Amino acid sequence: MLGRRSGLLLIAILLLSWEMTSRTGLVTSENWPPVSAILAGLVHETLYGDLVQVIGATLSRFALGYVIGICAGVIVGFTFALVPFVRRMFEPIIELLRPIPAPALVPPLVLFLGVDDLMKVTIIAVTAFFPVAINTMQGASGVEPIYLAVARTFRTGPTRVLMKIIMPGTLPYVLAGMRISLALALVVTVVSEMIAGASGVGYYLVLMQYAVRSADMYAAIFVIAALGFALNAAFLAAERRLIFWYAPVP
Amino acid sequence: MGRWLAKVAPGGIVLVLLLWGIEEAVDAGLVKRSLMPAPTDIGRILWELFVDGQVAGPLAETLARLGIGFAIGATLAVIMGLAMGYWPRVYGLFEPLIELLRPIPKAALVPPLVLFLGVGDAMKITSIALAVFFPVLINTVQGARGVDPVLIDTARTLGVRPLPLLRKIILPASAPFVFAGIRLSIALGLILAVISEMIAGTGGVGFLIIDMQRAFRVRQMYAWIVILAVVGYLLNLLILAAERRFLFWYQATERT
Amino acid sequence: MTLLKLNQVGKSFGSGEAQTVALDGIDLELKQGGFLAVVGPSGCGKSTLLQIAAGLMLADRGSVTLSGESVVSPPAHVVYVFQQYTKSLLPWRTVLANVEFALEGRPDIGRAERRDRSRSLLELVDLQSFAGHYPWQLSGGMQQRVAIARALAADARLLLMDEPFSALDALTRLDLQNLLLDLWADRKLSILFVTHDVDEAIYLADWVAVLTHRPARVHEIIDVGLSRPRDPITTREQSRFLELRHDLLGQLMKRRNSHG
Repeated sequence: MLGRRSGLLLIAILLLSWEMTSRTGLVTSENWPPVSAILAGLVHETLYGDLVQVIGATLSRFALGYVIGICAGVIVGFTFALVPFVRRMFEPIIELLRPIPAPALVPPLVLFLGVDDLMKVTIIAVTAFFPVAINTMQGASGVEPIYLAVARTFRTGPTRVLMKIIMPGTLPYVLAGMRISLALALVVTVVSEMIAGASGVGYYLVLMQYAVRSADMYAAIFVIAALGFALNAAFLAAERRLIFWYAPVP
Repeated sequence: MGRWLAKVAPGGIVLVLLLWGIEEAVDAGLVKRSLMPAPTDIGRILWELFVDGQVAGPLAETLARLGIGFAIGATLAVIMGLAMGYWPRVYGLFEPLIELLRPIPKAALVPPLVLFLGVGDAMKITSIALAVFFPVLINTVQGARGVDPVLIDTARTLGVRPLPLLRKIILPASAPFVFAGIRLSIALGLILAVISEMIAGTGGVGFLIIDMQRAFRVRQMYAWIVILAVVGYLLNLLILAAERRFLFWYQATERT
Repeated sequence: MTLLKLNQVGKSFGSGEAQTVALDGIDLELKQGGFLAVVGPSGCGKSTLLQIAAGLMLADRGSVTLSGESVVSPPAHVVYVFQQYTKSLLPWRTVLANVEFALEGRPDIGRAERRDRSRSLLELVDLQSFAGHYPWQLSGGMQQRVAIARALAADARLLLMDEPFSALDALTRLDLQNLLLDLWADRKLSILFVTHDVDEAIYLADWVAVLTHRPARVHEIIDVGLSRPRDPITTREQSRFLELRHDLLGQLMKRRNSHG
């Protein structure tokens, strides 16, 4: 534990030097506000300003897009794994679309769907889709062969094999894909708000940059980081409960 | 040959059908040309871009930024990762800080970087380097910490000193993880390159995409998106080839 | 009365230049209620042979019949017991639920009866107090006992066991060997038991079939001829046991050396 303490100390020292260099005028730049000012602004905005609304807007977009994306991903993933013909039909299209960096999809989607929520939710869903689809497909087709052999020696029918062996066996992979999608979807939410937004944390961030209100800008970054952290922690907790039995192969 | 064809045919047919369908829909006026141009039009623009040599400039710009940012970020990450993986004190010192900074989407760091560094290459390269740094670092640490203690102890009983040990044992043994981190970081680096060019650019593929969109030059926009996708795909192939070359021993060991 | 008969069973893997012949004309017969052990060097195709007998794999040549009927898919009342017991138990189910798995999908058995039967089988293998545990919480020997209980739950008449005790420590192995013999006698099972351990084969079985190196053929079938019930200590000291052991080991080791 000694090690960790030194790490926390390091963070404290860095924060302190940030605060000091800013307050004592050692670093005179508008881009270098004191940490305390950032935190104060954060508290103020939360209580009196509309920070809560801003976060709410981001979260609702994120949630909608994410849920749609992972549902589609799970369905497609299972279908691809269980019906190889369908997979062969559509895999090339998916493989072509996958390498496109998400921000590059924003401009065409803007043309089609405008700059409002529909566009953002679509791109979030598309981003969330791929990791879940790929992981689900790999998990479902890679279910430990010995489980399938066990099912066969006990003469288990195909529906029951699907429900009682393939699905539980795939769950760790699905969850891993969902965790990756979580991080990516949040990033894409913020980015889409930055590039083509009118509300939400990403838009707020860029707005503060243009207005050179750096304290509020850093506050926005802090909020984004906190969101990512909280969502990830919540997900890990849920995951631990669901797949307590899973020991991943190192 | 026949088997390969049978594998590829269904997908190829669907793809061709899809493109043909879009083409017909546009021609029949079902889809506005200003939204989705006919694939053949996009193809023609792509051809023109190549023939006129207009692809090289912006592509080179973006790739150069990506390359430099990647080199800086990855090198620093590997060095730091090996150190953190080998010395528990170093790990303890930096791990909380890393855990604090990791959840911040690096795209969100572009605005402050713009304030600090302006809209030039320095900002873009820095944001790319930051995006590359974290995945490579985390994977390197994981790999270095996971090196079989037997390997390390064997080296130490043979009298190998720390720095050569890092270089000759920990680094190669962590290579599979490092490569996984690199694969991830290239994707993120490319995203950051595109974003930084979109938000504050004057050149490069990302800038062109958004510029063409604003100017409603839709065919060009799609053409550049296609180019971007191909670049992403080729980079991935490159990494996979490098992996196969450097990690042939890992895949063989894993199989036993 | 013959229960299981393998007639000139052959199996190859791969194609063209990379083709290997695993089994080359295997002839084996297991009588109803008998215990037949199969020994052979590592990698000689013993598992393949067993999986073909279990209907989990199809032979390229020859035939497998169970009570006169051809085996092309897993038959009823025949259960294959895996070598990797850890992996053969479903990790997301409790011990009890794992045993129940063998009974699910049988419309004639309700949930309550399924639970009762599974519990009594766990008692049979002395694991009733672990019914609510998960497989990874059990030791290797205990996991294999769960697998055996599960096989019995499926009303197995014929057990095909693939080196089931080879990954266990010596004392646990002796324990499970005796458990197996008790179950075999009580329930009048028929067992085809593959192992590389000569001692185990002689101790457990009525007959021991010796396979050659790949491509595997049956080299000879030995009648063990030791009295039952077998005792873990005294049976192993009998002169007949030692003779057989001497003989079998000599054969296996000779062929090892001649194969370099």
